[in-house]
Amino acid sequence: MATEILMPKLGLTMTDGTIGEWNKDVGDFVKKGETLFTVETDKLTTDVEAESDGVLLRIDVPAGETVSCKTVIGWIGAYGESLSETDDKTPVSGQALLSKSAVIDTIQSKKAYDRTTGEYVLATPYAKKIAKEKGYDLMSVPGTGYNGVVVSKDVLNFKPLKAAPDSRSDISVKASPLSEKVAAELEIDLKDIKASHGRILAEDLLRYIAETHEKTSSYEPVREEIKPMSSMRKAIARNMLASVQTSPTVTFNLSVDMTEMKHYREQLKRVDINVSYTDLIVKFVAKALSEFPLLNCSVEDNKIIYKKYINVGVAVALENGLLVPNIADADKKSLPVISSEIKELAKLAREGKLPPEKLKGGTFTITNLGMYGIESFSPIINQPEVAIMGVNTIEDKVVVRNGEICIRPIMNLSLTADHRVVDGSLAAQFLHRVKNLLETPALILA
Amino acid sequence: MRKISFSEATREAMAEEMEKYPEVFVMGEDIARQGGIFGQFKGLPDEFPGRVIDTPISETFIVGGGVGAALAGTRPVVDMHFADFIGVAMDEVFNQMAKVRYMFGGQAKIPLVLRAPDGLAGGGAAQHSQSVESWFIHIPGIQVVAPSNPYDAKMVLKAAIESDDPVLYFENKVLYKEYAEVPEKEDEVPYQIGKARIEREGKDITIVSYSIGMKNARAAADRLLNDGIQAEIIDLITLSPWDKETVISSVKKTHRLCLVSECVKQGGALAEVAATVAEEALEYLDAPILRYGAPFTPIPFAPTLEKLYRVYPDDLVKGIKGVFQGTI
Amino acid sequence: MTVTISKDQAIKFYETMCTIRCFEESVKRDFLNGDIPGFVHLYIGEEAIGTGICAALRTTDYIESTHRGHGHCIAKGADINKMMAEVFGKRDGLCKGKGGSMHIADFSVGMLGANGVVGGGYNLATGAALANKTILKNDKVSVVFFGDGASNRGTFHEAANVAAVWKLPVIFVNEMNCWASTTPYRTTTSVEDISDRAIGYGMPRVIVDGQNVFEVYDAACDAVERARRGEGPTFIEAKTYRIEGHFVGDPEKYRKKEETLQIFNDTDPLKLFKDQCPDGIDFTQEELDMILTIARAKVQAAKEFAVSCDYPDESEFYKDVYVD
Repeated sequence: MATEILMPKLGLTMTDGTIGEWNKDVGDFVKKGETLFTVETDKLTTDVEAESDGVLLRIDVPAGETVSCKTVIGWIGAYGESLSETDDKTPVSGQALLSKSAVIDTIQSKKAYDRTTGEYVLATPYAKKIAKEKGYDLMSVPGTGYNGVVVSKDVLNFKPLKAAPDSRSDISVKASPLSEKVAAELEIDLKDIKASHGRILAEDLLRYIAETHEKTSSYEPVREEIKPMSSMRKAIARNMLASVQTSPTVTFNLSVDMTEMKHYREQLKRVDINVSYTDLIVKFVAKALSEFPLLNCSVEDNKIIYKKYINVGVAVALENGLLVPNIADADKKSLPVISSEIKELAKLAREGKLPPEKLKGGTFTITNLGMYGIESFSPIINQPEVAIMGVNTIEDKVVVRNGEICIRPIMNLSLTADHRVVDGSLAAQFLHRVKNLLETPALILA
Repeated sequence: MRKISFSEATREAMAEEMEKYPEVFVMGEDIARQGGIFGQFKGLPDEFPGRVIDTPISETFIVGGGVGAALAGTRPVVDMHFADFIGVAMDEVFNQMAKVRYMFGGQAKIPLVLRAPDGLAGGGAAQHSQSVESWFIHIPGIQVVAPSNPYDAKMVLKAAIESDDPVLYFENKVLYKEYAEVPEKEDEVPYQIGKARIEREGKDITIVSYSIGMKNARAAADRLLNDGIQAEIIDLITLSPWDKETVISSVKKTHRLCLVSECVKQGGALAEVAATVAEEALEYLDAPILRYGAPFTPIPFAPTLEKLYRVYPDDLVKGIKGVFQGTI
Repeated sequence: MTVTISKDQAIKFYETMCTIRCFEESVKRDFLNGDIPGFVHLYIGEEAIGTGICAALRTTDYIESTHRGHGHCIAKGADINKMMAEVFGKRDGLCKGKGGSMHIADFSVGMLGANGVVGGGYNLATGAALANKTILKNDKVSVVFFGDGASNRGTFHEAANVAAVWKLPVIFVNEMNCWASTTPYRTTTSVEDISDRAIGYGMPRVIVDGQNVFEVYDAACDAVERARRGEGPTFIEAKTYRIEGHFVGDPEKYRKKEETLQIFNDTDPLKLFKDQCPDGIDFTQEELDMILTIARAKVQAAKEFAVSCDYPDESEFYKDVYVD
């Protein structure tokens, strides 16, 4: 009995989701707990595991399509099971079934492969013909047909140990079934192994592996390696590319004298309020945003959507990527609240437990590379926002104050703004307002 | 295009050939006054007086007389009433009709058509329901045809009448009532005896059939599409001498073969196809040959038993899927 | 005797009978020598029947013959060289060597073939008669020869009924030679005169002395006339005796050789011919001997021709299964 696969509801506020990718093809055997597909909600990509063993019978919603939660997106059932007429929106491609059935059949009829030397190999005439043409020894081809008969697809899917140039010499290698099997799995050519007792036994194989291990591992460094992107990497790649293609951006840089802010932070420390510069910047930027609605909007079809809320996103670097959870209503929250929220979100993000709704609804993003000593960069807007502010390192610099040379902690801000709505002068005014606030922390109360 | 029944199609073929060749005549039991028990001769006696002849119940004369009439230079069509009765005239079929030309060194031509309504018709039981074509494909000198649709029925019958060699024309009793498109005379494409037709192309398995068996082949092929299996259907049309090339080249493409007919499976007409493919294209086969036919029993009368005698599309679908799932 | 006969006709009768006799003797010799394959059935002693019947027919009329058919074939006018070549299985035989003694035919003279199946010819002859009368609308006549044994086949009854009910131009010629293979007719046949069976089908019948060519001819002429007039079939029963065994080499354990020889001595149509000649036709023994000698020479030539011919080429093997 086939069971339906539903678009999961991964959080309270999640209403729909996009299939990131199907990790299995129709006809594939799926084990309970294996990742079946990924769901993308904004920047979060979640792996969804299969809830039961079976064969992926049909995919109703292909990768890239968005459907509401609890929508049927596919079917899992027994091998060979067909879905009833009423379910037949998109019938399973029999070819897909066939091409995959070899895998399942191999699982089911593993025995067929455990042949003893000299055993007559059951194979269809056509399989024999192809095997002969390809120079394969049928002894080593697993059979997936009835009774373990080797059929043509087994030969076609078969990967010989080596290119099998001389089938005659292959035949002359005598080996125990176990050593043959292990050698096949490790892709070791049995011809290279010396038999200690007339035919190659498992112990010969193990000795060979031990002897050749160092040689083989130090040989020929891998110059290129191809690995598939993780789901998160794919999401980042997709989102960044989409952003660049959506927004014509200009990046503005402005130095901020952080002398007062350093004092302010130390004063807070003294009363046991430990906040980071990021926390502070979030708080002050939120205030600036409340004064510059065009920096807190989004653009859609020649319309500007002004947000009456200020949700400041903070980019959190992870081992394999980054996530941007946001502090909702940052302008209305106290600094300690903002601080603890940021800590909690970063922790959840690193643990991969970030609730999807925390990634939604941001209106402006702050990305801090200061800890890496970066002095200036041009961040890419986190769509559908219209601006992102890069925070750089704080560095003591020689500056002129009131006609005198002095040394001050200076930080560079890099604001990337979407020129569709944010013109240069507006960006400059906003950036100056942020500078103004950061240099005169008391203004936060004004 | 106009739609006519199989029975009407054979009647048209007769009328057109009788019009074209004055030496064509037809004889058999109950064909003139009654018009044939399936109506396949209706109206012909009026159109062609003296050339549609009711015979006594004398099958040896019907066939042997047909052979003699052919020797005298006519093109007789003789009707067997029910294919089951050919046995009564077996000597005339296989010792006279089939051999006269060869054993006399080509002196004789036997342009004779033996029409034989066959197949299960519901309750005909053991002596009125048989499909006996396989008896005759064993006999050199006879051509055996069994069309599956009205258009073929017409064109194959015309080809049979125009052939200078004897033809056994099996016409299925159930198919008589089937309607299908048949072109007007001027748009007809003549049939060449001995040619099979690929009715539907496919790449996964070749289903070979003929006559009523084609219904099973078509239904099964339709359903297999749901599983992504594209069956190639070959309508053999002529069972002897049969179109080996078409079948073998199809098997070389699909690597699988399924045979279905209504006749008894053991020694059935398609057993020859199976054997030939095994002989000449074995190395192209990637699965056992599937063969569907009637069980090895006389045909029972009771509907509950007769039901068991039939082949159903389900049988083919199950078997063919089994091949692809490695269970057969 | 209702039909007048010329001496030329009588010579022809005798010549034909002699040719048949010599042909059969020659075949017997060559078969026993192992030069002829298969098996042969001889017409010795029955020559007057085939001769008398066929003399009443035109070349375009048809005969259906039997396994004991050499006599019918010669009487109908087949070329004896080609006949002999066929009996030897040679390429130049009437049937290209594919038929042999039992399946000999010469369509060019209306000999539609011997039939290896006893009783196989009735329906063919009757069907040909049907075609000629109702479809082709000519006046051709068909004759079917058959023995007393063959009269027990069901095919006789189906054909006889059809021929009679549709008044078809077909003549049933029964060579009542008393033996069905190894079985005497009295043990297997319900009537003393086979032609009694014609009565059941409303068919006129006549019983003639099968050893008297003139009597046979006379009856045949009557039957042919009737047939051509559209009055339907006739059954001619010609009483004769099978002198040879069923086939050459038959040990004939079922009868006494002396008895057969005695019957042959008493009824040999060649011996009786001189005395059977109608009034006004006389032959000297020298005349008859000369006819026989010429016949023997012709048969000898036919045998030499047959021996000189090649066997069929292997390329002939698949030919004529079908027309194309």
